[in-house]
Amino acid sequence: MRFRLMVLLGVLMLCISPFLISRELAHGQSTQVDNARSALGQAFGLVQEADLQGASIDQISQLADSLNLALRYEENATRLGSDLYANRSLELSNATAVQALGDSNAARTQSVFDQASGYSLAVVAGFGSALSVLEIHRLNDIVRKIRLRRIRLE
Amino acid sequence: MQRRIIVFILLFASFSLVYSSIAYYALSKPPAQEFMAWGVFSPSGTLSNYFLGSEANVTSGKSFDWHFAITNRMGSIQYVQIVYRLGNSTSSSPNATASGDSVPQLGNSSIFIPNARTALVNFTWSFTKKPSPGGSVYINMTINGQLVSPSVSAVAGQKFRFFFELWTYDVASNSFQYGYRGQSSWVGVPLQVWFNVV
Repeated sequence: MRFRLMVLLGVLMLCISPFLISRELAHGQSTQVDNARSALGQAFGLVQEADLQGASIDQISQLADSLNLALRYEENATRLGSDLYANRSLELSNATAVQALGDSNAARTQSVFDQASGYSLAVVAGFGSALSVLEIHRLNDIVRKIRLRRIRLE
Repeated sequence: MQRRIIVFILLFASFSLVYSSIAYYALSKPPAQEFMAWGVFSPSGTLSNYFLGSEANVTSGKSFDWHFAITNRMGSIQYVQIVYRLGNSTSSSPNATASGDSVPQLGNSSIFIPNARTALVNFTWSFTKKPSPGGSVYINMTINGQLVSPSVSAVAGQKFRFFFELWTYDVASNSFQYGYRGQSSWVGVPLQVWFNVV
């Protein structure tokens, strides 16, 4: 009796196993696609940050091309239910995010350098201008002396 | 001597102030109104003549190659999604503040657009009539190669309409939001095209 029950349970398990496996696969697939989608959103956030920090148009265009390719992979993954495309999308999104982070840091450094250079130049020019105004009479004296020397030589 | 030093300091401060203002102006981004503009274009590349000279009457099985041109002037790269819906004469239209959520969605297309660029998105569609009792006409559609069966019908096949909505990705909420972020609120810019099924 117990043996029969075990056999019945075994047969029942065999019958429902394909459903269990396919559900597990489907769940895994949707997780992969969800991860790819999430990575794409995060990569976009970092690219936008790099753009706002002042990364060059060429850099942003290149990052946008990568994001668009990752998006096509993600769409294929969703349409075909393919883990391969989902993984490709995820890898490309992560690579783009890393590149965007580098570009963002470089743009921020460049921006700080530009500002420091600009304001330093303003202070130096201010110093030079103030000095010129105060010492203009000495310049006139020098010019007068040169003229006198020329006249004497003639 | 002391007077000269005071004069020098005053001059130095004044000149520095003037030059710093020039530097600030040169280093600042020029102010600009942020916006997104878009349109749905016919095969001839115009904003009209969508049905190739047949008014708005469309025959079953005929394919149309339209495209969207989306211009990004938001000051930074944008992640844009176009949502397609099919409605009829009684459907509530999307407007500047609300999307047409009550109208069933047919599909969507997404794209990343750098600032100051215009991107093109294809929209190829055709339909076949679905046999249905009474005067209402239902249709099956193929949009960009995907088969869809909208739940919307139109009396005698008259006054179907496409609603096209532009959504942009909001990093803060990790989701697409209807329209684009304006100065004080989100701005919706929906489009619609009417057609009759014959």
